[in-house]
Amino acid sequence: MSSAAIITRMSVRQTLGLRRAIGFGILALAPAVIFVLVLAAPSRIDELELMTGFLLFPHLTITTPIITLILAASTLGDERRDQTLSFLVLRPVRREIIAAAKLAGAFLAASALTGAGGLALGVVYGVTSSDWGLVVPTVVGTVVATAVYCAVFVPLGYITDRSTVIGLAFVFVWENGIAAAVGSLATTSPWRIGFSALSGMAPKVLSGGDIRDFALGDLMPGAGGALVRAAIFLLLSTALISAMLRRRDLA
Amino acid sequence: MTGAPLTPAQVPDATVSVESVSKWFGQKVAVSDVSCSFGPGITGLLGPNGAGKTTLLRMLTGLLLPSEGTVAVLGRAPRSDPAVYAKVGLVPEEDAVYGFLSAREFVGYSARLAGVADPEGAAGRAIDRVELNDAADRPISGFSKGMRQRAKVAAALVHEPQVLVLDEPLNGTDPVQRAHLIAVFQQLAAAGHTVIVSSHVLEEVEKMTHRVIAMVDGKLAAAGNVGAIRRAMTDIPYRVRVDTPQPRVLAAALFADDNVNGIDVAGDSLHVETADLSALGTRLPPLSRRLGVRITAFRPEDESLESVFRYLVGRR
Repeated sequence: MSSAAIITRMSVRQTLGLRRAIGFGILALAPAVIFVLVLAAPSRIDELELMTGFLLFPHLTITTPIITLILAASTLGDERRDQTLSFLVLRPVRREIIAAAKLAGAFLAASALTGAGGLALGVVYGVTSSDWGLVVPTVVGTVVATAVYCAVFVPLGYITDRSTVIGLAFVFVWENGIAAAVGSLATTSPWRIGFSALSGMAPKVLSGGDIRDFALGDLMPGAGGALVRAAIFLLLSTALISAMLRRRDLA
Repeated sequence: MTGAPLTPAQVPDATVSVESVSKWFGQKVAVSDVSCSFGPGITGLLGPNGAGKTTLLRMLTGLLLPSEGTVAVLGRAPRSDPAVYAKVGLVPEEDAVYGFLSAREFVGYSARLAGVADPEGAAGRAIDRVELNDAADRPISGFSKGMRQRAKVAAALVHEPQVLVLDEPLNGTDPVQRAHLIAVFQQLAAAGHTVIVSSHVLEEVEKMTHRVIAMVDGKLAAAGNVGAIRRAMTDIPYRVRVDTPQPRVLAAALFADDNVNGIDVAGDSLHVETADLSALGTRLPPLSRRLGVRITAFRPEDESLESVFRYLVGRR
């Protein structure tokens, strides 16, 4: 097994303990559970409206970033706080490999939960509406958003002990406030990049008139563009983390 | 080829070299212009708490970047050439262990990342070497401090590093474990490995080696063989214990000796302060014969590492 695979596997194990898996698993599945509860109520709402108007956005803008923030920021942050970073960096492994493996570990751990949340949401929608066309797009959009969040939050967790506060400010002030108001900033918003993939694969989620401006800004729907943006974020993040591992004091 | 003459802090067959290294954190200078080198065998890095030992070791291993100067391990800069870590092992002072892993998993992880051919086998041998077999499959989070130390040592040894850096490696270990770990380090040294041990417990270092590098206030205070360092401290008189059944007779005669600075009599012992230990040792036998006084013991009291170190710290 390569060094990258060894570090990635260990990183997933380190990041996703049993308690975190259970706690964040419940959080990830919450939108799907709410979907079921709302549809079970006497006054029925249109499934697509419920999905796109009320549940997809909490899933993409709240549960996905929160879960990813905690898991991704702890990937290198815990190594630094627990003083195990010295163990990791004093191995004959290139810094780029450590950085990429840590990002991969964070992504696998976080996307296992957020992707499961997206899958559950898509499946519940499919079961209730008999329209299975949102399952794959929701999972892809969620996973793309998770990857971009990892690119932001892994280095953040390494740089600062206040990663949770700063990460929440990024999500709720920057993404859902400033980037929502300025369309050209949509490219800096991970969940919008994920949503551009989702909406490219399932244009019907853009049927509501207000959704497009808020959710996409200047972004165009399309999975290809979203994947390219996610790859750019991940490459920049790898470069940033490896530069920090080379140039910063590590103890 | 001829080079500059070596200082006592340098060795001819250096595997680790430190050239004019300084490190400061903001306004605080942790290490100031230190040059030294380490070769095969054990070298003790000594200093009181805050002397800069850990900072120097962290620069040696590439964990910290020197503010000035250069560090080379096996001829390479560890910070820019991580491949050198295949031949370096570090036991850090802090608890750098993954609590959720068992000792066997932890040491195996170290072996895999070091590229060891048979990581499971190597991990088993390293665990055996530090006598941690009984607890090898238990999570490290439940380990005592001494057991964690041994797990760290096993993880640092698992790839048979040519250079082993140990920062307070015996912390938390009981006397039996301590003796065993010291024997392991001595075996490695005897096999030609470079072992650098930092400790503020002088007794431990004294058991391991005679070559020391002493740091005080971030600076190199002395280096070399403990006896040679003591002999170089000519401004501090030696203290010698002389046992005799007739201490007062001998004391009266020694007072006339120009090299004797002072004498304390305590029971059947004299504690003699002298500027010239070898002269005293030469003069004492004929003097005792002339006086008809039997000398039962002649023992320098301050050639121990502890006394030397106390002097070094006191000088600053």
